[in-house]
Amino acid sequence: MSSSPVVDAIPLTGADCMLRAFDREARRYHGASHASQLVLRLGAGLDRQRLRGLVEGLVADAPIVGASIRRPWLGLPVYDLREPSAPRLREHRVAPRRGMPGAFIEAMNETFDARRGELLRFDLVSYEDGSSDLALTWLHMLLDGSGSESFVKALADKANGARDRIGLAVGGEAETDLSFRDRGLRAREWQRFLGGFADHPTASPAGRLQRVPQRSRYRVLTLTRDETARATETAAAKAGFLTPVMFYMAVALRAHHALMAARGTVPPSYVVPLPVNIRPRGGEDAVFRTHVSMLWFQVRSDAVGDFDALLAELKRQRQEMIKRGLVDSGRCAIDFARYMPAFLFDRMVRSTLGGELCSFFFAFTGTFLDGVSEFCGAPIENGFHVPAVLPSPGSCVAMSVFAGRLNLTHVYQAGAVEESESEQLVESARRELLA
Amino acid sequence: MGSMEWTAESLEARILEIVRDDILSVDQSFSVESDLIAAGLESMGVTQLMLAIEESTGVWVDESLLTPANLASVRSLAACVHEQLAGS
Repeated sequence: MSSSPVVDAIPLTGADCMLRAFDREARRYHGASHASQLVLRLGAGLDRQRLRGLVEGLVADAPIVGASIRRPWLGLPVYDLREPSAPRLREHRVAPRRGMPGAFIEAMNETFDARRGELLRFDLVSYEDGSSDLALTWLHMLLDGSGSESFVKALADKANGARDRIGLAVGGEAETDLSFRDRGLRAREWQRFLGGFADHPTASPAGRLQRVPQRSRYRVLTLTRDETARATETAAAKAGFLTPVMFYMAVALRAHHALMAARGTVPPSYVVPLPVNIRPRGGEDAVFRTHVSMLWFQVRSDAVGDFDALLAELKRQRQEMIKRGLVDSGRCAIDFARYMPAFLFDRMVRSTLGGELCSFFFAFTGTFLDGVSEFCGAPIENGFHVPAVLPSPGSCVAMSVFAGRLNLTHVYQAGAVEESESEQLVESARRELLA
Repeated sequence: MGSMEWTAESLEARILEIVRDDILSVDQSFSVESDLIAAGLESMGVTQLMLAIEESTGVWVDESLLTPANLASVRSLAACVHEQLAGS
Protein backbone atom coordinates (compact mmCIF):
# COMPACT_ATOMS: atom_id res chain seq x y z
CA MET A 1 0.00 0.00 0.00
CA SER A 2 1.42 3.37 -0.97
CA SER A 3 0.68 6.61 0.77
CA SER A 4 0.98 10.19 -0.47
CA PRO A 5 3.61 12.36 1.18
CA VAL A 6 2.19 14.83 3.69
CA VAL A 7 2.15 18.31 2.16
CA ASP A 8 1.49 21.36 4.32
CA ALA A 9 1.95 24.09 1.71
CA ILE A 10 1.32 24.36 -2.02
CA PRO A 11 2.71 27.30 -4.01
CA LEU A 12 0.35 29.57 -5.89
CA THR A 13 0.82 29.49 -9.66
CA GLY A 14 1.73 32.70 -11.49
CA ALA A 15 -1.88 33.00 -12.65
CA ASP A 16 -3.05 32.57 -9.04
CA CYS A 17 -0.83 35.47 -8.05
CA MET A 18 -2.13 37.63 -10.90
CA LEU A 19 -5.68 36.95 -9.67
CA ARG A 20 -4.56 37.62 -6.12
CA ALA A 21 -3.44 41.06 -7.32
CA PHE A 22 -6.89 41.63 -8.81
CA ASP A 23 -8.44 40.44 -5.55
CA ARG A 24 -6.36 42.98 -3.69
CA GLU A 25 -7.64 45.65 -6.08
CA ALA A 26 -11.25 44.52 -5.53
CA ARG A 27 -10.85 44.64 -1.73
CA ARG A 28 -8.95 47.91 -1.63
CA TYR A 29 -10.92 49.94 -4.17
CA HIS A 30 -14.32 48.25 -4.27
CA GLY A 31 -14.89 46.63 -0.87
CA ALA A 32 -15.44 43.10 -2.22
CA SER A 33 -13.57 40.07 -3.53
CA HIS A 34 -12.61 38.89 -6.99
CA ALA A 35 -14.99 35.93 -6.96
CA SER A 36 -16.35 33.69 -9.68
CA GLN A 37 -19.42 31.51 -9.62
CA LEU A 38 -20.74 28.33 -11.16
CA VAL A 39 -24.52 27.85 -11.15
CA LEU A 40 -26.49 24.61 -11.37
CA ARG A 41 -30.24 24.86 -11.92
CA LEU A 42 -31.64 21.61 -10.59
CA GLY A 43 -34.93 19.78 -11.00
CA ALA A 44 -36.73 18.10 -8.11
CA GLY A 45 -35.05 15.43 -6.04
CA LEU A 46 -31.99 17.08 -4.50
CA ASP A 47 -30.80 15.08 -1.50
CA ARG A 48 -29.93 17.94 0.87
CA GLN A 49 -28.48 15.66 3.47
CA ARG A 50 -26.09 14.20 0.91
CA LEU A 51 -25.11 17.70 -0.19
CA ARG A 52 -24.43 18.76 3.42
CA GLY A 53 -22.32 15.65 3.89
CA LEU A 54 -20.35 16.42 0.73
CA VAL A 55 -19.58 19.96 1.86
CA GLU A 56 -18.69 18.84 5.38
CA GLY A 57 -16.32 16.20 4.03
CA LEU A 58 -14.57 18.55 1.63
CA VAL A 59 -11.78 19.74 3.89
CA ALA A 60 -10.77 16.20 4.75
CA ASP A 61 -10.76 15.25 1.08
CA ALA A 62 -9.12 18.37 -0.33
CA PRO A 63 -7.71 20.70 2.36
CA ILE A 64 -6.77 23.30 -0.27
CA VAL A 65 -10.45 24.40 -0.39
CA GLY A 66 -9.99 25.89 3.08
CA ALA A 67 -6.29 26.73 3.02
CA SER A 68 -5.13 30.13 4.19
CA ILE A 69 -3.14 32.05 1.61
CA ARG A 70 0.01 33.70 2.88
CA ARG A 71 3.35 34.96 1.65
CA PRO A 72 6.26 33.88 3.88
CA TRP A 73 8.84 36.54 4.66
CA LEU A 74 11.37 34.83 2.45
CA GLY A 75 9.42 32.96 -0.16
CA LEU A 76 6.61 32.81 -2.65
CA PRO A 77 2.88 32.89 -1.81
CA VAL A 78 1.47 29.53 -0.72
CA TYR A 79 -1.74 27.77 0.19
CA ASP A 80 -1.12 26.80 3.84
CA LEU A 81 -2.88 23.46 4.40
CA ARG A 82 -2.12 23.04 8.10
CA GLU A 83 -5.41 24.31 9.56
CA PRO A 84 -7.95 24.46 6.75
CA SER A 85 -11.33 26.10 7.28
CA ALA A 86 -14.53 24.31 6.33
CA PRO A 87 -16.43 25.85 3.40
CA ARG A 88 -19.95 27.05 4.16
CA LEU A 89 -23.24 25.87 2.69
CA ARG A 90 -25.92 28.53 3.06
CA GLU A 91 -29.48 27.40 2.53
CA HIS A 92 -32.13 29.86 1.39
CA ARG A 93 -35.79 29.19 0.74
CA VAL A 94 -37.60 31.25 -1.88
CA ALA A 95 -40.97 30.74 -3.53
CA PRO A 96 -41.85 30.71 -6.35
CA ARG A 97 -38.93 30.20 -8.75
CA ARG A 98 -38.49 33.36 -10.76
CA GLY A 99 -35.30 34.58 -12.44
CA MET A 100 -31.86 34.27 -10.85
CA PRO A 101 -31.84 34.19 -7.03
CA GLY A 102 -30.74 37.49 -5.52
CA ALA A 103 -28.63 35.51 -3.04
CA PHE A 104 -26.41 34.29 -5.89
CA ILE A 105 -25.93 37.78 -7.25
CA GLU A 106 -25.09 39.16 -3.83
CA ALA A 107 -22.63 36.29 -3.23
CA MET A 108 -20.54 37.80 -6.03
CA ASN A 109 -20.15 41.01 -4.02
CA GLU A 110 -19.11 39.59 -0.67
CA THR A 111 -15.64 39.54 0.77
CA PHE A 112 -13.70 36.31 1.24
CA ASP A 113 -11.01 36.30 3.87
CA ALA A 114 -8.27 34.34 2.11
CA ARG A 115 -5.92 34.75 5.05
CA ARG A 116 -8.37 32.73 7.16
CA GLY A 117 -8.92 30.07 4.51
CA GLU A 118 -12.25 31.38 3.27
CA LEU A 119 -11.96 30.46 -0.39
CA LEU A 120 -15.32 29.07 -1.47
CA ARG A 121 -18.99 28.99 -0.51
CA PHE A 122 -22.09 27.14 -1.55
CA ASP A 123 -25.52 28.74 -1.72
CA LEU A 124 -28.61 26.60 -2.13
CA VAL A 125 -31.99 28.08 -2.96
CA SER A 126 -34.92 25.68 -2.66
CA TYR A 127 -38.37 26.15 -4.17
CA GLU A 128 -41.82 24.91 -3.23
CA ASP A 129 -42.05 22.64 -6.28
CA GLY A 130 -39.01 20.68 -5.09
CA SER A 131 -36.58 22.20 -7.57
CA SER A 132 -33.52 24.15 -6.47
CA ASP A 133 -30.60 26.28 -7.62
CA LEU A 134 -27.06 25.74 -6.36
CA ALA A 135 -24.20 28.24 -6.67
CA LEU A 136 -20.56 27.59 -5.99
CA THR A 137 -18.81 30.94 -5.47
CA TRP A 138 -15.05 31.01 -5.01
CA LEU A 139 -12.08 33.29 -4.91
CA HIS A 140 -10.97 33.18 -8.51
CA MET A 141 -7.40 32.20 -7.70
CA LEU A 142 -8.51 28.81 -6.30
CA LEU A 143 -10.10 27.50 -9.49
CA ASP A 144 -10.19 28.45 -13.15
CA GLY A 145 -13.25 27.68 -15.27
CA SER A 146 -11.97 24.27 -16.32
CA GLY A 147 -10.94 23.42 -12.74
CA SER A 148 -14.32 24.46 -11.36
CA GLU A 149 -16.07 22.04 -13.73
CA SER A 150 -13.67 19.23 -12.74
CA PHE A 151 -14.41 20.05 -9.10
CA VAL A 152 -18.18 19.86 -9.56
CA LYS A 153 -17.81 16.64 -11.57
CA ALA A 154 -15.80 15.16 -8.69
CA LEU A 155 -18.49 16.25 -6.22
CA ALA A 156 -21.20 14.71 -8.41
CA ASP A 157 -19.18 11.48 -8.70
CA LYS A 158 -18.70 11.28 -4.95
CA ALA A 159 -22.39 11.98 -4.37
CA ASN A 160 -23.47 9.12 -6.61
CA GLY A 161 -20.84 6.74 -5.27
CA ALA A 162 -18.63 6.69 -8.35
CA ARG A 163 -15.63 7.79 -6.28
CA ASP A 164 -14.71 7.54 -2.60
CA ARG A 165 -13.09 10.94 -2.16
CA ILE A 166 -12.50 14.18 -4.02
CA GLY A 167 -8.70 13.89 -3.91
CA LEU A 168 -6.09 16.60 -3.94
CA ALA A 169 -5.67 17.13 -7.66
CA VAL A 170 -3.74 20.39 -7.64
CA GLY A 171 -1.85 19.74 -10.88
CA GLY A 172 1.78 20.36 -11.71
CA GLU A 173 3.42 23.52 -12.91
CA ALA A 174 3.35 24.35 -16.61
CA GLU A 175 6.57 22.90 -17.97
CA THR A 176 9.40 25.13 -19.10
CA ASP A 177 13.04 24.56 -19.97
CA LEU A 178 13.77 28.28 -19.85
CA SER A 179 16.23 29.82 -17.43
CA PHE A 180 15.12 32.67 -15.18
CA ARG A 181 16.90 35.11 -17.52
CA ASP A 182 15.15 33.73 -20.61
CA ARG A 183 11.82 33.85 -18.86
CA GLY A 184 12.55 37.49 -18.12
CA LEU A 185 13.27 38.14 -21.79
CA ARG A 186 10.01 36.44 -22.77
CA ALA A 187 8.11 38.50 -20.22
CA ARG A 188 9.63 41.70 -21.61
CA GLU A 189 8.68 40.67 -25.13
CA TRP A 190 5.11 40.21 -23.92
CA GLN A 191 5.15 43.61 -22.27
CA ARG A 192 6.47 45.22 -25.45
CA PHE A 193 3.66 43.52 -27.37
CA LEU A 194 1.05 44.87 -24.98
CA GLY A 195 2.77 48.25 -24.91
CA GLY A 196 2.01 48.59 -28.64
CA PHE A 197 -1.70 48.70 -27.77
CA ALA A 198 -1.24 52.19 -26.33
CA ASP A 199 -1.05 53.61 -29.87
CA HIS A 200 -4.82 53.11 -30.13
CA PRO A 201 -6.23 53.67 -26.64
CA THR A 202 -9.29 51.84 -25.43
CA ALA A 203 -12.05 52.57 -22.95
CA SER A 204 -14.18 50.06 -21.10
CA PRO A 205 -17.84 50.61 -20.23
CA ALA A 206 -16.74 51.45 -16.67
CA GLY A 207 -13.83 53.69 -17.60
CA ARG A 208 -10.52 53.78 -15.75
CA LEU A 209 -10.00 52.37 -12.28
CA GLN A 210 -11.87 54.35 -9.64
CA ARG A 211 -12.77 53.84 -5.99
CA VAL A 212 -16.36 52.66 -6.38
CA PRO A 213 -18.28 49.92 -4.56
CA GLN A 214 -18.37 46.60 -6.40
CA ARG A 215 -21.93 45.85 -7.52
CA SER A 216 -21.78 42.79 -9.77
CA ARG A 217 -25.01 41.83 -11.53
CA TYR A 218 -25.68 39.29 -14.24
CA ARG A 219 -28.25 38.07 -16.71
CA VAL A 220 -28.30 34.80 -18.60
CA LEU A 221 -29.52 34.14 -22.11
CA THR A 222 -30.25 30.47 -22.88
CA LEU A 223 -30.80 29.55 -26.50
CA THR A 224 -33.10 26.67 -27.46
CA ARG A 225 -31.53 23.48 -28.80
CA ASP A 226 -32.52 24.45 -32.36
CA GLU A 227 -31.08 27.94 -31.95
CA THR A 228 -27.91 26.52 -30.43
CA ALA A 229 -27.53 24.07 -33.30
CA ARG A 230 -27.84 26.99 -35.71
CA ALA A 231 -25.32 29.16 -33.84
CA THR A 232 -22.88 26.26 -33.43
CA GLU A 233 -23.11 25.43 -37.12
CA THR A 234 -22.43 29.04 -38.09
CA ALA A 235 -19.51 29.24 -35.66
CA ALA A 236 -17.96 26.05 -37.03
CA ALA A 237 -18.44 27.11 -40.65
CA LYS A 238 -16.94 30.56 -40.11
CA ALA A 239 -14.25 29.85 -37.53
CA GLY A 240 -13.65 26.06 -37.54
CA PHE A 241 -15.28 23.47 -35.34
CA LEU A 242 -12.32 23.27 -32.95
CA THR A 243 -11.90 27.05 -32.82
CA PRO A 244 -15.44 28.49 -32.63
CA VAL A 245 -14.16 30.74 -29.85
CA MET A 246 -13.15 33.36 -32.43
CA PHE A 247 -16.73 33.53 -33.73
CA TYR A 248 -18.11 33.99 -30.23
CA MET A 249 -15.51 36.63 -29.42
CA ALA A 250 -16.51 38.57 -32.55
CA VAL A 251 -20.16 38.39 -31.38
CA ALA A 252 -19.22 39.72 -27.93
CA LEU A 253 -17.02 42.44 -29.39
CA ARG A 254 -19.72 43.76 -31.70
CA ALA A 255 -22.26 43.69 -28.87
CA HIS A 256 -19.94 45.88 -26.78
CA HIS A 257 -19.31 48.14 -29.76
CA ALA A 258 -23.10 48.61 -30.07
CA LEU A 259 -23.24 49.55 -26.37
CA MET A 260 -20.44 52.11 -26.70
CA ALA A 261 -21.91 53.48 -29.96
CA ALA A 262 -25.31 53.95 -28.27
CA ARG A 263 -23.53 55.97 -25.59
CA GLY A 264 -21.66 57.97 -28.21
CA THR A 265 -18.34 57.00 -26.63
CA VAL A 266 -16.74 54.67 -29.18
CA PRO A 267 -13.05 54.34 -28.24
CA PRO A 268 -10.25 54.21 -30.84
CA SER A 269 -9.88 50.46 -30.26
CA TYR A 270 -11.11 47.45 -28.30
CA VAL A 271 -8.66 45.34 -26.32
CA VAL A 272 -9.82 41.89 -25.25
CA PRO A 273 -7.88 39.19 -23.38
CA LEU A 274 -8.63 35.54 -24.05
CA PRO A 275 -7.67 33.02 -21.33
CA VAL A 276 -5.75 30.00 -22.63
CA ASN A 277 -5.70 26.74 -20.66
CA ILE A 278 -2.04 25.78 -20.10
CA ARG A 279 -2.43 22.67 -17.96
CA PRO A 280 0.61 20.53 -18.67
CA ARG A 281 -0.02 17.49 -20.85
CA GLY A 282 -1.51 14.73 -18.77
CA GLY A 283 -2.66 17.25 -16.16
CA GLU A 284 -6.19 17.62 -17.50
CA ASP A 285 -7.59 16.36 -14.21
CA ALA A 286 -5.87 19.11 -12.23
CA VAL A 287 -8.64 20.77 -10.28
CA PHE A 288 -7.26 23.47 -8.03
CA ARG A 289 -5.16 26.55 -8.73
CA THR A 290 -5.38 28.39 -12.03
CA HIS A 291 -3.45 27.23 -15.07
CA VAL A 292 -3.89 29.94 -17.67
CA SER A 293 -2.00 32.23 -19.98
CA MET A 294 -3.61 35.00 -22.03
CA LEU A 295 -3.81 36.03 -25.65
CA TRP A 296 -4.54 39.73 -26.11
CA PHE A 297 -6.47 41.05 -29.10
CA GLN A 298 -6.72 44.63 -30.26
CA VAL A 299 -9.14 45.72 -32.95
CA ARG A 300 -9.58 49.29 -34.16
CA SER A 301 -13.15 50.49 -33.84
CA ASP A 302 -13.44 51.21 -37.56
CA ALA A 303 -12.75 47.50 -38.24
CA VAL A 304 -15.71 46.24 -36.19
CA GLY A 305 -18.49 47.12 -38.66
CA ASP A 306 -18.21 44.08 -40.94
CA PHE A 307 -18.60 40.78 -39.06
CA ASP A 308 -16.63 38.61 -41.47
CA ALA A 309 -13.78 41.13 -41.73
CA LEU A 310 -13.66 41.38 -37.93
CA LEU A 311 -13.58 37.60 -37.58
CA ALA A 312 -10.78 37.36 -40.16
CA GLU A 313 -8.78 39.95 -38.21
CA LEU A 314 -9.26 38.12 -34.90
CA LYS A 315 -8.20 34.84 -36.50
CA ARG A 316 -5.16 36.50 -38.03
CA GLN A 317 -4.12 37.96 -34.68
CA ARG A 318 -4.59 34.62 -32.91
CA GLN A 319 -2.43 32.79 -35.45
CA GLU A 320 0.23 35.49 -35.26
CA MET A 321 0.33 35.38 -31.45
CA ILE A 322 0.59 31.59 -31.38
CA LYS A 323 3.29 31.71 -34.06
CA ARG A 324 5.28 34.24 -32.02
CA GLY A 325 5.04 32.04 -28.96
CA LEU A 326 3.06 34.64 -27.02
CA VAL A 327 1.14 32.01 -25.08
CA ASP A 328 4.40 30.99 -23.47
CA SER A 329 5.63 34.58 -23.20
CA GLY A 330 2.36 35.47 -21.49
CA ARG A 331 2.84 32.63 -19.04
CA CYS A 332 6.37 33.87 -18.28
CA ALA A 333 5.08 37.41 -17.73
CA ILE A 334 2.20 36.26 -15.54
CA ASP A 335 4.65 34.10 -13.59
CA PHE A 336 6.43 37.25 -12.42
CA ALA A 337 3.34 37.98 -10.33
CA ARG A 338 4.72 35.34 -7.96
CA TYR A 339 7.78 37.44 -7.25
CA MET A 340 6.24 40.92 -7.17
CA PRO A 341 4.09 42.48 -4.47
CA ALA A 342 0.44 42.32 -5.57
CA PHE A 343 0.06 46.12 -5.68
CA LEU A 344 3.06 46.48 -7.99
CA PHE A 345 1.82 43.83 -10.42
CA ASP A 346 -1.63 45.41 -10.44
CA ARG A 347 -0.15 48.87 -11.08
CA MET A 348 2.00 47.49 -13.88
CA VAL A 349 -0.88 45.84 -15.76
CA ARG A 350 -3.10 48.88 -15.28
CA SER A 351 -0.44 51.28 -16.53
CA THR A 352 -0.23 49.67 -19.99
CA LEU A 353 -3.62 51.02 -21.08
CA GLY A 354 -3.67 54.21 -19.04
CA GLY A 355 -5.65 52.83 -16.11
CA GLU A 356 -7.85 50.47 -18.13
CA LEU A 357 -7.30 46.73 -17.90
CA CYS A 358 -9.10 45.93 -21.16
CA SER A 359 -12.34 46.79 -22.98
CA PHE A 360 -14.24 43.84 -21.47
CA PHE A 361 -13.64 40.27 -20.36
CA PHE A 362 -14.62 37.37 -22.58
CA ALA A 363 -14.62 33.61 -22.18
CA PHE A 364 -15.96 30.67 -24.16
CA THR A 365 -15.50 27.40 -22.29
CA GLY A 366 -17.16 24.98 -24.71
CA THR A 367 -19.25 22.13 -23.35
CA PHE A 368 -20.21 22.71 -19.72
CA LEU A 369 -19.92 19.71 -17.33
CA ASP A 370 -19.63 17.29 -20.21
CA GLY A 371 -21.23 13.97 -19.26
CA VAL A 372 -22.73 15.15 -15.95
CA SER A 373 -26.52 15.19 -15.86
CA GLU A 374 -27.33 14.70 -12.17
CA PHE A 375 -26.18 16.24 -8.89
CA CYS A 376 -27.00 14.73 -5.49
CA GLY A 377 -30.06 12.99 -6.89
CA ALA A 378 -31.47 15.94 -8.85
CA PRO A 379 -31.34 16.30 -12.63
CA ILE A 380 -29.27 19.27 -13.81
CA GLU A 381 -31.63 21.35 -15.92
CA ASN A 382 -29.04 23.97 -16.81
CA GLY A 383 -25.61 25.18 -15.72
CA PHE A 384 -23.22 28.00 -16.56
CA HIS A 385 -20.29 30.14 -15.42
CA VAL A 386 -20.46 33.63 -13.93
CA PRO A 387 -16.88 34.95 -14.19
CA ALA A 388 -15.46 37.60 -11.91
CA VAL A 389 -15.40 41.08 -13.40
CA LEU A 390 -13.74 44.04 -11.78
CA PRO A 391 -15.65 47.35 -11.75
CA SER A 392 -13.21 48.45 -14.39
CA PRO A 393 -13.76 47.15 -17.15
CA GLY A 394 -17.17 46.41 -15.61
CA SER A 395 -18.44 44.02 -18.29
CA CYS A 396 -17.86 40.38 -19.19
CA VAL A 397 -19.47 37.99 -21.65
CA ALA A 398 -19.08 34.26 -20.96
CA MET A 399 -20.51 31.50 -23.10
CA SER A 400 -20.75 27.73 -22.76
CA VAL A 401 -23.04 24.94 -23.92
CA PHE A 402 -24.95 22.68 -21.54
CA ALA A 403 -27.03 19.76 -22.84
CA GLY A 404 -27.18 21.24 -26.33
CA ARG A 405 -28.19 24.75 -25.22
CA LEU A 406 -25.88 27.72 -25.39
CA ASN A 407 -25.78 29.97 -22.34
CA LEU A 408 -24.54 33.53 -22.57
CA THR A 409 -23.88 35.19 -19.22
CA HIS A 410 -23.42 38.95 -19.16
CA VAL A 411 -21.77 39.96 -15.90
CA TYR A 412 -21.67 43.70 -15.33
CA GLN A 413 -21.14 46.29 -12.65
CA ALA A 414 -24.27 48.26 -11.81
CA GLY A 415 -23.39 51.91 -12.17
CA ALA A 416 -20.88 51.17 -14.91
CA VAL A 417 -23.44 49.44 -17.11
CA GLU A 418 -27.17 50.14 -16.85
CA GLU A 419 -29.63 47.26 -16.72
CA SER A 420 -31.20 48.42 -19.98
CA GLU A 421 -27.74 48.46 -21.59
CA SER A 422 -27.14 44.90 -20.44
CA GLU A 423 -30.50 43.87 -21.92
CA GLN A 424 -29.58 45.51 -25.21
CA LEU A 425 -26.11 43.97 -25.21
CA VAL A 426 -27.53 40.47 -24.71
CA GLU A 427 -30.19 41.03 -27.36
CA SER A 428 -27.56 42.33 -29.76
CA ALA A 429 -25.43 39.22 -29.15
CA ARG A 430 -28.46 36.98 -29.63
CA ARG A 431 -29.22 38.54 -33.02
CA GLU A 432 -25.60 38.08 -34.07
CA LEU A 433 -25.51 34.45 -32.91
CA LEU A 434 -28.60 33.64 -34.94
CA ALA A 435 -27.86 35.82 -37.98
CA MET B 1 10.20 22.08 -49.79
CA GLY B 2 8.01 23.51 -52.59
CA SER B 3 4.34 22.63 -52.87
CA MET B 4 4.81 20.61 -56.08
CA GLU B 5 7.01 18.11 -54.26
CA TRP B 6 4.34 16.99 -51.83
CA THR B 7 2.40 13.82 -52.42
CA ALA B 8 -0.52 12.67 -50.28
CA GLU B 9 1.79 10.01 -48.78
CA SER B 10 4.68 12.36 -47.96
CA LEU B 11 2.21 14.82 -46.44
CA GLU B 12 0.75 12.07 -44.28
CA ALA B 13 4.20 11.15 -43.05
CA ARG B 14 5.14 14.77 -42.29
CA ILE B 15 1.86 15.53 -40.50
CA LEU B 16 2.14 12.33 -38.47
CA GLU B 17 5.65 13.37 -37.43
CA ILE B 18 4.47 16.84 -36.35
CA VAL B 19 1.51 15.44 -34.45
CA ARG B 20 3.61 12.85 -32.64
CA ASP B 21 6.58 15.09 -31.85
CA ASP B 22 5.04 18.48 -31.14
CA ILE B 23 1.29 18.46 -30.76
CA LEU B 24 -0.07 15.42 -28.94
CA SER B 25 1.11 13.03 -26.27
CA VAL B 26 0.69 9.78 -28.19
CA ASP B 27 2.64 6.55 -28.35
CA GLN B 28 3.98 4.69 -31.37
CA SER B 29 0.67 2.94 -31.92
CA PHE B 30 -0.79 6.28 -33.09
CA SER B 31 -1.08 5.98 -36.87
CA VAL B 32 -2.31 7.96 -39.84
CA GLU B 33 -5.71 6.43 -39.27
CA SER B 34 -5.98 7.20 -35.54
CA ASP B 35 -8.65 9.63 -34.37
CA LEU B 36 -7.06 13.05 -33.84
CA ILE B 37 -9.86 14.44 -31.69
CA ALA B 38 -10.00 11.37 -29.47
CA ALA B 39 -6.23 11.67 -29.06
CA GLY B 40 -6.66 15.15 -27.58
CA LEU B 41 -6.38 17.62 -30.45
CA GLU B 42 -7.99 20.88 -29.28
CA SER B 43 -8.19 24.53 -30.27
CA MET B 44 -4.62 25.54 -29.45
CA GLY B 45 -3.17 22.32 -30.83
CA VAL B 46 -4.99 22.56 -34.13
CA THR B 47 -3.66 26.07 -34.76
CA GLN B 48 -0.13 24.99 -33.83
CA LEU B 49 -0.54 22.06 -36.21
CA MET B 50 -1.69 24.32 -39.04
CA LEU B 51 1.23 26.68 -38.41
CA ALA B 52 3.68 23.75 -38.53
CA ILE B 53 2.10 22.51 -41.75
CA GLU B 54 2.36 26.00 -43.20
CA GLU B 55 6.04 26.09 -42.26
CA SER B 56 6.61 22.80 -44.07
CA THR B 57 4.44 23.33 -47.14
CA GLY B 58 4.01 27.07 -47.44
CA VAL B 59 0.22 26.72 -47.46
CA TRP B 60 -2.10 27.97 -44.73
CA VAL B 61 -5.26 25.96 -44.26
CA ASP B 62 -7.91 28.17 -42.72
CA GLU B 63 -9.54 26.73 -39.59
CA SER B 64 -12.96 27.03 -41.22
CA LEU B 65 -11.93 24.20 -43.58
CA LEU B 66 -11.14 21.96 -40.66
CA THR B 67 -14.39 20.07 -40.41
CA PRO B 68 -14.86 17.00 -38.21
CA ALA B 69 -14.42 14.87 -41.34
CA ASN B 70 -11.13 16.57 -42.28
CA LEU B 71 -9.84 16.18 -38.72
CA ALA B 72 -10.92 12.57 -38.34
CA SER B 73 -7.33 11.37 -38.85
CA VAL B 74 -3.91 12.38 -40.13
CA ARG B 75 -4.88 10.73 -43.42
CA SER B 76 -8.02 12.82 -43.92
CA LEU B 77 -6.18 15.98 -42.84
CA ALA B 78 -3.37 15.26 -45.28
CA ALA B 79 -5.94 14.87 -48.05
CA CYS B 80 -7.42 18.27 -47.13
CA VAL B 81 -3.98 19.92 -47.10
CA HIS B 82 -3.07 18.23 -50.37
CA GLU B 83 -6.20 19.63 -51.96
CA GLN B 84 -5.22 23.11 -50.78
CA LEU B 85 -1.72 22.64 -52.15
CA ALA B 86 -3.09 21.58 -55.51
CA GLY B 87 -5.25 24.68 -55.64
CA SER B 88 -2.53 27.10 -54.54
